[in-house]
Amino acid sequence: MHMRSSTQTPTRRSSSAAVAGMSIAALGVFLLAGICAPISASAAPAGCAALQAKYPDLKGKKLVNAINPHTPGYEAIDPKDPSKYVGFDIDLGEQIGECLGFTLTYKAVTFAALLTTLASGQADIVISDIYATEERAKAADFITYSKVFDGVLVAKGNPKKIDGINMSMCGAAAAENTGYVEVPLIQALMPQCKAAGKPEPTIQLYDNNANCIQAILAGRADTYINDVNTVDQAVKAYPDKLEKAIAVTIPYSVGIGVPKNKPEFRDAVMAALIEVQKAGIHMDLLKKWNLDVNNFEEPRILSVK
Amino acid sequence: MSLFVHYLSLPYLLEGIWFTVVVTALGLAGGLILGLVLAAMQLSRFWMLAAFARGYTVIFRGTPLILQMVFAYDALPHIGIKLSAIGAAGLALAANEAPFIAEMLRAGVLGIDRGQVSAGQALGMTPALLMRRIIAPQAIRMMIPAFGNETVSALKNSSLASVISVQELTLRSTQLASSTFDFFSIFFASGLIYLVLTTGVSVVQLLVERALDLDRPATQSRFARFMPWYRAPSLLQPISAEPSSAADTGLDAAVPHAESPKEAKASRADRTERSATLTQNDVVVDVNGLYKAYDKQVVLAGVELTVRVGEVVALLGPSGSGKSTLLRCINHLEGWDAGTVKIGGRRIGFREDGKPLSPRDMANERASVGVGMVFQQFNLFSHLTALENVAGPLRWVHGVSRPDADRRARELLERVGLSHRADALPRHLSGGQQQRVAIARAIAPNPSVLLLDEPTSALDPELVNEVLEVIRRLAVEDGLTMIIATHQLRFADEVADRVVFLSGGSIIEEGPAHEVLTNPRNPITARFLSVMEADKAPEKTA
Repeated sequence: MHMRSSTQTPTRRSSSAAVAGMSIAALGVFLLAGICAPISASAAPAGCAALQAKYPDLKGKKLVNAINPHTPGYEAIDPKDPSKYVGFDIDLGEQIGECLGFTLTYKAVTFAALLTTLASGQADIVISDIYATEERAKAADFITYSKVFDGVLVAKGNPKKIDGINMSMCGAAAAENTGYVEVPLIQALMPQCKAAGKPEPTIQLYDNNANCIQAILAGRADTYINDVNTVDQAVKAYPDKLEKAIAVTIPYSVGIGVPKNKPEFRDAVMAALIEVQKAGIHMDLLKKWNLDVNNFEEPRILSVK
Repeated sequence: MSLFVHYLSLPYLLEGIWFTVVVTALGLAGGLILGLVLAAMQLSRFWMLAAFARGYTVIFRGTPLILQMVFAYDALPHIGIKLSAIGAAGLALAANEAPFIAEMLRAGVLGIDRGQVSAGQALGMTPALLMRRIIAPQAIRMMIPAFGNETVSALKNSSLASVISVQELTLRSTQLASSTFDFFSIFFASGLIYLVLTTGVSVVQLLVERALDLDRPATQSRFARFMPWYRAPSLLQPISAEPSSAADTGLDAAVPHAESPKEAKASRADRTERSATLTQNDVVVDVNGLYKAYDKQVVLAGVELTVRVGEVVALLGPSGSGKSTLLRCINHLEGWDAGTVKIGGRRIGFREDGKPLSPRDMANERASVGVGMVFQQFNLFSHLTALENVAGPLRWVHGVSRPDADRRARELLERVGLSHRADALPRHLSGGQQQRVAIARAIAPNPSVLLLDEPTSALDPELVNEVLEVIRRLAVEDGLTMIIATHQLRFADEVADRVVFLSGGSIIEEGPAHEVLTNPRNPITARFLSVMEADKAPEKTA
């Protein structure tokens, strides 16, 4: 009982802080939306009519978007209406759908199951802040749309002095999501640390963001490296307990996953994304969700045999 | 705390309960159906089915549910079976629950006393009927606690469906925690919801247990008790009924063999006459060269036995001499290696071409030929009242209507002096009373021959006479054909027409009861009889 009350009090305090933080953010979004209203409220960009004529099969379809809704800002349930998913990826997907004439429903799965769900046909598309790597491109084709900046989340004061995915992590415990690209990057440090006569870093694998953040709060892990926006959200929720040590660039791009055996669909999505970008919607969405506009990237297709 | 209450009443989480319950229900219902099939396969006579079921159990009990969920969701579509998320979760949970439920069912079925199964077979019940009327009702009662456990575990296991996108409670909780960062409030709330659900399961389990409790009064009186006009039943009636009915029949009080020597002599003269008539009667039981061995241990070494209508034959012999086995072979509760058994001229248990009958056909044949059997351990159906033990088989096997079956059962219970205990469960009856009910049950369908396998051996000495008296009256008053394996020499002398002495699986001596018992020719018989008499001596004086 004692433990329960002692854990609950700070939770409530910090979460009310989070709610306050969020309402400020919401206010900002509201103002931004007001400024951008003419653009984001407008109908699909001009080129979309031609695309709908070129890809008539997609028109009126209801497609399934597999997501791992644990990354506020990209995809998470709306705290005010938990029946809805909200975030940059959600908006971007719906814009692409609007352009091609299809609508999206969502299927929430673990991060590691995103591409399996796509490959098994249980989903048609994956727009869930997934980094397009060569390895993953064996399971799905990707249309990349965003650069990747990672943040290093640590406990307040950064007691282990971690400053990136480098030798400062030797001997540290890193919390990561199963299937995240950061996992092999940290694994690659192991032989280096060993060669330098230092203890190897350890990796704790969890199922979602919340668990990784809890691992640091509970003192089980020293760091959690993930997309910088996700790290910022965590710091905002627990400003007394967490901080962002540093932002690092990672040599990947974020991509939309589509089945390998549907090149026409892939090309349609790519073409729609170009239209959405040309109309300035992509940039507006980055601003709407308080994301760094430097993330913006022109689409490319990543496909391996 | 307010956040905790907020999440506890959040429609988003509460709706998640629905998915949790649906997945659990699918898993349990599917698991029950699959489990029934698996258990039936494992208990089957065909080894291929049993082996297949074993293999299934090894695989699905031996792999984690989470893998099975992912398999059903992500792998099955590759072979063209694309189930919805709930469907896949339900399928995986069902496939996973099935072996556990099958083991519960199997344990329940195997937990039923074999004696009751033998008794049901002897009454001519087919395997299906036995399962439905005798095994299942008792097994289900035994399985309820285990099934409650299984339901709770399935409910908790349904949370694994979160990995395949089923919007159940756990998935909704984690998503909510990710977007609000209110980790603990949310998980305390969802934990409490799970606790409420599992408590509900426990309550249902307890209610079902109470409802099926045989020792509880029937539903009607249970409700009636809360009514203002209800009066507790007078206890005087049942208590006063016992002594009066016992006095009426003179069973419990009277010592049955208080004949004077003169009467005994007279009856002996009668019996000589009787045996002369008996030899004219038709043959009911014809055992010919019956041979049976377990591995190299010979149990029956070519037994020949003929019993005529109305004849009472006492089978005597030391323990292990083959008496029980012989009786069990006569109504084909056991198989044998060579020889034939004919009842009323029919080879019981075999088709015209000599091939063995299926268990089902054998049951029907037993019912139509009519061989009643009374067991040493009574073997009453323990979930049925005394009345139902007698009336039930009449309805199920012989198609007698309920009023007729009840009337017949009441008549017979009255004859064995137990009309006042008609509604008692076997466990509330003394051994002697149970055996009297068992006799009533065995003679209810009017068998052409009654086999009694040491009917008094399991009884306390003071209860032996009440049972022997019932048997004596069946012989004397009804002229029922009987074969009795017994150690009661005096009883055999008084009731049996003929004594057959078995030793080491062979008949070593047989003849008119009084002659063999008083003047045995075979030294083994003589030694056995003198030992038995010596054992009896103190009892006689007592």
